[in-house]
Amino acid sequence: MVQYLAKRIGRSVLTLFIIVTLVFCLLRLMPVEGYFANYEKMSEAQIQAGLQSMGLLDPLPVQVGRFWRNALHGDLGVSHIYKVNAPVTQILAQKLPISVQMGVLAMLLSLVLGIPLGLVMGQYKGRWPDKLGTALIVLIQAVPAAVYFLYIQMYGTAAVGVGLLFNAANWRYWVLPVCSMSLANLAFYAMWLRRYMVDESNKDYVRLARAKGVCGRDIALHHVFRNAMVPLVQYIPSAFLNTVVGSIYIESLYSIPGMGGLLVTCVQRHDNTMVQGIVLLYACVGIVGLILGDILMVLIDPRINFGKKEGGR
Amino acid sequence: MTQDPILSVRGLQIRFGLRGRTLHAIRDIDLDLYRGEVLALVGESGSGKSVFTKSFMGLLDANGSITGGSIDYYPTPGCTPLHLAALKTEKEWLTVRGREIAMVMQDPMTSLNPLKTIGEQITEAVTLHQGLKGAAAREKTLEYLRDVGISDPALRYKQYPHEFSGGMRQRVVIAIALACNPKILLCDEPTTALDVTIQAQILQLLRQMREKYHLTIVLITHDLGVVANLADRVAVMYAGDIVEIGTADEIYYDPRHPYTWALLSSMPQMGVKGEDLFSIPGTPPNLFAEIHGDAFAPRNPQALKIDFVKRPPYFAVSPTHKARTWLLDPRAPHIEPPAAVKKLQKEGL
Repeated sequence: MVQYLAKRIGRSVLTLFIIVTLVFCLLRLMPVEGYFANYEKMSEAQIQAGLQSMGLLDPLPVQVGRFWRNALHGDLGVSHIYKVNAPVTQILAQKLPISVQMGVLAMLLSLVLGIPLGLVMGQYKGRWPDKLGTALIVLIQAVPAAVYFLYIQMYGTAAVGVGLLFNAANWRYWVLPVCSMSLANLAFYAMWLRRYMVDESNKDYVRLARAKGVCGRDIALHHVFRNAMVPLVQYIPSAFLNTVVGSIYIESLYSIPGMGGLLVTCVQRHDNTMVQGIVLLYACVGIVGLILGDILMVLIDPRINFGKKEGGR
Repeated sequence: MTQDPILSVRGLQIRFGLRGRTLHAIRDIDLDLYRGEVLALVGESGSGKSVFTKSFMGLLDANGSITGGSIDYYPTPGCTPLHLAALKTEKEWLTVRGREIAMVMQDPMTSLNPLKTIGEQITEAVTLHQGLKGAAAREKTLEYLRDVGISDPALRYKQYPHEFSGGMRQRVVIAIALACNPKILLCDEPTTALDVTIQAQILQLLRQMREKYHLTIVLITHDLGVVANLADRVAVMYAGDIVEIGTADEIYYDPRHPYTWALLSSMPQMGVKGEDLFSIPGTPPNLFAEIHGDAFAPRNPQALKIDFVKRPPYFAVSPTHKARTWLLDPRAPHIEPPAAVKKLQKEGL
């Protein structure tokens, strides 16, 4: 297992290197106006001098080499447009924690509520808990998120007793955004877990467990549940990735100073160093998520073997 | 073999509701299962073999139910019976499932939980039915693994089903059934999904386990060859009814029902090299419809007129052998059994 992980991490680092280098090279093709806050007022000579001083006129391999050397020392350059001359790492360090905290809370909430809901629905298939759950899931999936987010904010703020401006120090302010963010995944987990529970319940090993004299509750918990979780586990890493990206809509709705929309803003405004830094961050998180997913799969399903390509599934 | 019934079925009827229609899966079965015997249930697919035995454990699908008759279970000789057909709730059935009657299912490749070690799966039954925990349960589990012929049980205990071959998995399934410590073992086509060479080993194992654990075994199969050297008695099922029942010798060497003749004639062993295998013409009757007379009559070229009108009663051939066919009525014309059956009588299997 250690050997497999070492290999896996080595390969991930290589992937990371390729992605970030590629994006770096592509960004060199972008117009240069993104490097200057007052581009329109500058003369051609000033622009050239500016580019020269930033090292952007050096040959590409030299630039790549410099970028990686700095990046490994924790220096991702400075933002030119988004926040003039502020280090990229500093901007991210301000915005990332709140998005990650909120995202992880939302993910945990959706797991903690979605999985028992799916379990109960699968167990009482066709009876009232199932119908009630299905109604909730359909509501969440069919109504555009923007609509119910708005309602949650309209009626929720009064109920929880919070003002409009987000205050990270007060837990009350966290309730509504976290709940809103967890809804979509909650519905997703409940829906698929129910479906996989029902699928698994018709399998032969469940019949054997019944014939063994295991009671219905124990069959659901000890036999069906874990099998039904196997296909679901692979979605958890991507959910993890989403938590870091933050939700543009929810963050703007509650005026949360998070990551939501940061990448989009920076791309639109040609802030190349910011884009570069954010891409590096997302690539890291994505790769960690994938490794985490693989480890989870191995832990839950013995048929999937570390290091061996041919699994039972 | 004693004649002490462990399970006594009377007038059993089982119906399934399917899209508003009613399927009569089991039509009026009487059967005594004797303590310590191996009874084989043979018949085509759809003859109701599995449904019949599942009803002993309350494992019918949700749309099926016992609509008539009784199943009486005698845990010890001569005690007051437990009325299985009257059990309703899961809680009531849990006193029977595994504990009294256990089951070995057809396909060992799918009947084990893929995510649990086989040790856990056997121990689950040991804990549930023998009240053992921890090291004692583990010890007992290893003993069962050894019993069913799995070498290096301490290692195998920790392995998962996908690390076992089909034959080995079936041994594990048998170990699970034994770990329930049942009195009756229902084997639903235990060798059908296995290699021919493995089949004999599994049957041999069942024979040994029956001796060691004093089991009564019901063996469901459609392969008469499988039955020949394991079963004490054979019941031939057709369209949800037992049409002939007798000792294995009586069924093989003195069959009386035309369906039993046809079944024996269609055994591959009975074929002559270069000729087509015998197959029974037609298809089993539609169990949604009311069946008049002898259910096999439409497929029997030598059926009598009365076969289409009136359901035959059982006629006793010997104290242990009876068949539901008008051919055994004293007024019936004499009809010779087919050549294959006669050959079997002369030459044996």
